[in-house]
Amino acid sequence: MHQFWLAVGFGLVTASVIAVAAVGLSLQFGITNYINFAYGDFMALGAYLTWELNAGAVHLNIWVAMIGGSLLVGVFAVIVNRVVLGPFARRFERVFYVLIVTFALSLIILSLINSIWGADVKRFNMSSETPLHIGPFLLTVDQLIVIGIGLALMVAIHLLLTVTRLGKSMRAMSDSTTLAMTSGIDTRLITTITWFLTGILAGLAGTVLGITSASITPSFGETFLFVIFAAVIVGGVGSVYGAILGAVMIGLVTEVSAVFINASYKLDTAFVVLILVLLFRPSGLFARVGRV
Amino acid sequence: MAPIVYYAFTLLFFFAAYSVLGWGLNLQFGEAGILNFAYIGFVAIGAYITGVTSSGPPPAGSGESYVLGASLPFPLGLLAGGVASCLLAVLVAFIAFRRLRSDYLAMVLISISLVMYDVINNYVPLFDGADGLNSVPMPLSGTFNLDANGFLIFFALLSVGIGAVMWLVMSRITRSPLGRTLRAIRDDPDVVSALGKNVFRYQLTAMLIGAFYAGIGGGLIVEFASSFNTSAWLPAETFIIFAALIIGGLGNNLGVMMGAFVVPVLFTQLPKFIPDIPGHPGLILNLEGAVIGLLLIVTMWFRPQGIIPERPRRPDRFLAAQAPPAPPGGIDADAAEGPPPAPAGATDAKTTG
Repeated sequence: MHQFWLAVGFGLVTASVIAVAAVGLSLQFGITNYINFAYGDFMALGAYLTWELNAGAVHLNIWVAMIGGSLLVGVFAVIVNRVVLGPFARRFERVFYVLIVTFALSLIILSLINSIWGADVKRFNMSSETPLHIGPFLLTVDQLIVIGIGLALMVAIHLLLTVTRLGKSMRAMSDSTTLAMTSGIDTRLITTITWFLTGILAGLAGTVLGITSASITPSFGETFLFVIFAAVIVGGVGSVYGAILGAVMIGLVTEVSAVFINASYKLDTAFVVLILVLLFRPSGLFARVGRV
Repeated sequence: MAPIVYYAFTLLFFFAAYSVLGWGLNLQFGEAGILNFAYIGFVAIGAYITGVTSSGPPPAGSGESYVLGASLPFPLGLLAGGVASCLLAVLVAFIAFRRLRSDYLAMVLISISLVMYDVINNYVPLFDGADGLNSVPMPLSGTFNLDANGFLIFFALLSVGIGAVMWLVMSRITRSPLGRTLRAIRDDPDVVSALGKNVFRYQLTAMLIGAFYAGIGGGLIVEFASSFNTSAWLPAETFIIFAALIIGGLGNNLGVMMGAFVVPVLFTQLPKFIPDIPGHPGLILNLEGAVIGLLLIVTMWFRPQGIIPERPRRPDRFLAAQAPPAPPGGIDADAAEGPPPAPAGATDAKTTG
């Protein structure tokens, strides 16, 4: 039982990482209506930019570096959308063209990361701490901060979508771009802002993934992608709240499974959950008609 | 013989193998519209099964461990690889195909290939984990008494022969009513199912045939190289084959061959001849992926139909050859135009998803 509660604690940490990533991917999908297969590489880029600010060229505190790195990914995402993905999505009616372009972007970003930072494992410069006992859990301060970041971001995104004009415009666009446009919403501006926000989320997700897994490699975002996809599909594609619930579920399942099976396969259990959901409820566990 | 000759035959082999791989993916994606982002997984299963069914039980004391360990004679191991890849296709199709639209399917497929990679890499008893198979015998080298160099030339030529047969079969398939139905499904699955065709069964057929090609291609690679491990089928490899298809010409078997020559052969070989930039060893090789990605994006923008575009089908000739009642030729006529640049703008794109 002790082992189980420890695993639940780690599950909450993993869930926070997945939630940040999955919400970003879902928001992007809601606005653009295609899946960004380069999302894992956006995450890796965020981790490497943070590393550069934390242990590379500059030596900032990890959390300050994380904010800097994530903002840079946000800017990068806006540029990518403006220069590449936006024009392709407007020109080609068939969605697979854009999907292939995101796949190409993924290869480009991965090669660039490999060329700039090399293929060897990098680590953030942060003090190692002794874990704290909190109830039945055993977590480090950093892990608690990661959970806190996850919770704060989820609340912030909930408020963004329900209270602000920007969030309401985003929801309107995700329901129907044409209707949003005729209601006087500047869809291009909203798209740009969405890419900026989701780029930041990808950067944050990459960094917290690097913190929780204690190492960064160029392809670590890409190999984590199927876990995010699992959370997104389990929650219902395009639904932000579904993505959060899916993330919690996948996070708990993967970590608790490590109690019972070899820990090197723990992420693969996310895939098992994905297959079960596809077989019995292909639209996702929490899908509703109104998305985002 | 000079080393350059062996090098040329190595390139010839990869040209043949990648053409086979390209035709398989072209049937799935170019003809049937299935965005199979797990394609390299099918290639890998073909390669592993060919390897373990032809190299015998793991040699004692080598530390290798893998399943099966049979010693089938040459073409049987290769066929076993093709069949194993088909079995995987059936499994994948029944899990994922029935109710998923194309981009969900792509997400599931890419997940499948990532998880397969993870499991095969970690679970050593299956295919020897990250070390992979290292002692696959050179097929028929005993029969013809060939040394390693002789085998290289022999097997390259044999692969070209196998490739030629597979080309003939594939061009029959794409010209047949099956190919026509697949293209119609690609262009509008709803219309095809309204005409009473079972879309799932046609897609399953395309997956099966494509997977067989993937398995054979993978099997050829393992028999040529005598070894195969997880570094040979990183998920990005799927992308190389997609890039070959799109740059060469989607939906055209000749275009696919052209793509197989330009992308996997020319583009992955050329950088080896560019001298390293001083102080940055390996930089050129690392940038290779970026160059292929960039080339693909530029090609898709300026020439979305590829170097050799899909051949315009002639519905009038087809209709003349058929006795009435004539099937609606409109489907083929639309297919003939390939992917048109949509002037309709963003709003149209939203409705397609």
